[in-house]
Amino acid sequence: MAVSDTSKFKVVASGVIPFAFVVMMILYIFGPGSDLLDFGVALPEVTIEKVDFIDSEIQATVRNTGPIPLQVVMADVNDRIQPAAVEPDGFLERYETTLVRIPFEWNESEPYRIGITIDDGTRFEKEIESAAPALKFTPEFAIFFAIIGTYVGIIPVMIGLLWLPFIKKISKQKYHFFLALTAGLLLFLAIDSIEESIEVSNENLANSFNGSLLVATVVVLSFLTLYYLGNKIVTKADSLNFSKPVAIGLMISIGIGLHNFGEGLAIGAAVGIGSIAFSTFLIVGFALHNTTEGIAIAAPMSRGKLMLGKLAIMGMIAGTPAIFGAWIGGFAYSPFTSVIFLAIGAGAIFQVILVLMKWIQKENNGNLSTLSIVSGFAIGMLVMYLTSILV
Amino acid sequence: MILLLSVTIGVSVIVVFPNSSEAQSELKTFVTHSGEIIRTTGEIIDPLYTVSTVEFDPMEYLREFNYGKVSKLSDGTTVREYTIIAEDDKVMEVSPGVFYNVWTYNGTVPGPTIRATEGDLLKINFINNGSKEHTIHFHGIHPAGMDGVFEAIGPGGGKFVYEFEAGPVGVHPYHCHVMPLEEHIIHGLYGVFIVDPKEGRELADEMVMVLNGFDTDFDTENNFYAANTIPFYYQHHPIQINTNELIRVYVVNMVEFDPINNFHLHGNLYNYYPTGTDLVPSFYTDMITLSQTERGIMEFEYTYPGKYLFHAHKVEFSEKGWVGIFLVNDNVESDESDDEYGR
Repeated sequence: MAVSDTSKFKVVASGVIPFAFVVMMILYIFGPGSDLLDFGVALPEVTIEKVDFIDSEIQATVRNTGPIPLQVVMADVNDRIQPAAVEPDGFLERYETTLVRIPFEWNESEPYRIGITIDDGTRFEKEIESAAPALKFTPEFAIFFAIIGTYVGIIPVMIGLLWLPFIKKISKQKYHFFLALTAGLLLFLAIDSIEESIEVSNENLANSFNGSLLVATVVVLSFLTLYYLGNKIVTKADSLNFSKPVAIGLMISIGIGLHNFGEGLAIGAAVGIGSIAFSTFLIVGFALHNTTEGIAIAAPMSRGKLMLGKLAIMGMIAGTPAIFGAWIGGFAYSPFTSVIFLAIGAGAIFQVILVLMKWIQKENNGNLSTLSIVSGFAIGMLVMYLTSILV
Repeated sequence: MILLLSVTIGVSVIVVFPNSSEAQSELKTFVTHSGEIIRTTGEIIDPLYTVSTVEFDPMEYLREFNYGKVSKLSDGTTVREYTIIAEDDKVMEVSPGVFYNVWTYNGTVPGPTIRATEGDLLKINFINNGSKEHTIHFHGIHPAGMDGVFEAIGPGGGKFVYEFEAGPVGVHPYHCHVMPLEEHIIHGLYGVFIVDPKEGRELADEMVMVLNGFDTDFDTENNFYAANTIPFYYQHHPIQINTNELIRVYVVNMVEFDPINNFHLHGNLYNYYPTGTDLVPSFYTDMITLSQTERGIMEFEYTYPGKYLFHAHKVEFSEKGWVGIFLVNDNVESDESDDEYGR
């Protein structure tokens, strides 16, 4: 016992000692009294993350995204100084946000540049292409978004599921084609989500968030988490009274659900920002686009027994997040959370693709290079691309 | 998955709402353009209407004239001696909360208003306590060696005595003329030089307005404009004048970057003497246009009491600080205070 205790101690010590040196090094470089890195000029930076137009007032959410604390001292609209209020106050530590309220009789659908000046006289600006009143949470709007979410998320997925009897009756080759098609569809969605989240972060988040790396990290974390949990579900599928196709179908619908949450955010935000024509396109485009997601769920499920109840549940899992997404996007849009959710969705989809590919490989005796699989994958991407042009 | 979700949501909530617990409850109010009263639990940032003061007092500068230390030569010529010290390390609050590195003559932007009578002999003892070379270049008539261009005065206590006869009659700027010139001017090394005619001018309530601007973020566009440095100052500190009293404004445009500036007076017109060199007004107007260092003298009287705006009718400038108010008091007996003009 004593022997193993000392060896355990040695293991712990050998792990802790280098770490202690790291801490000492950091303290030496950054700690109090250290002037090793005390050179150069730290440039302050603020980012105007969000601008809301409400009754006779413009509200800007401002975040300190620079390396040093700063003070917000002045606001302007179109480069003309305006009286304003900052709530709770103008002093911002790193990453702290504040709300700048500028009383202003703005005109709908006109462009505005909102400027914030800080204590060293530097002015930061955000341009709004078209002013539109911020959405207030009302039951009417909540229902409106729920209906849109249903049209975009639930109904198209359910329609897609109707292909199930067709997929059920086809030959094994054609079945593999549809499974590969599903993987192609999903790969497109994953890339789409990543592109969208990087775009949102570039447009709205400061460089200090390392937008692309934030997305990459969240995608990988989400992938790994789902990969681990997914394997657990599949291995326990029998004991849980699931068949393997059901387990895969469930994972696909969760992945698609996360993706549709992101789509809901996009629609809600577009309506919230007031680009109504744009959001009509979004809604039509997403609706067509999402019927293919139904196929993605139907394909693996087609080899088990026909389980209408489970299918419907999966359709709901895949579709309803669009409603929640639309609510959040419309009423409480935050670019940071959007980036996170879109990236989680992408990671989830990558995991589903991996599971699908493994399954196809197993079904096809380890061969992935048959014409049906390759062409299915390619056509999946193509179909998604063509329907995405509608968005 | 749920774990991951809850962690990311938790982190994002902390990042997005880090200060939700620090909300204050005390209500403050401020007034907007339209007179609407806005209530806030936070901080008010309003350089326009909310009365605020900074280190530099434009009201004091407005009517302050530096006549120098006076002595006489044996032939009766008046000698006026001034001391001007240049510095370039001062950080000044140029608008409430906005701090900018100003370069100064005698510690202020603009520098002191130097005033003399035509024919006086001027001795300006210049000391450069800055970290860069500086000079004083006076607009006016003087020998080449007194022009403040080719004889840069070294930093850290360099000295020079500018000596010349005051002239011509009028209002002139003076400024540093070291290259890069724009940099030395926009940081604040300028001031006003007034030469009075020997016979004097009609008694009046006299004031100096330097129209200037500050490019606080160095993008070659002014962030602030003002009459006498502090944006909106005379809007929340109106200049008090009296009805039926002659008002004389020496106005000098020192705005850089923008090609023109202008001066519009409300509820009145003024006699305008470009450069102040002629004793007969050239225009009777309520609007003059001024290019860089263009200047002149405006004279007017108000008949009706009340508040009258004066501002750049280049509205961008007025909405960024170059706006003020004359508060005309109904005073039948104009009490002209004696100035200590060293005649």
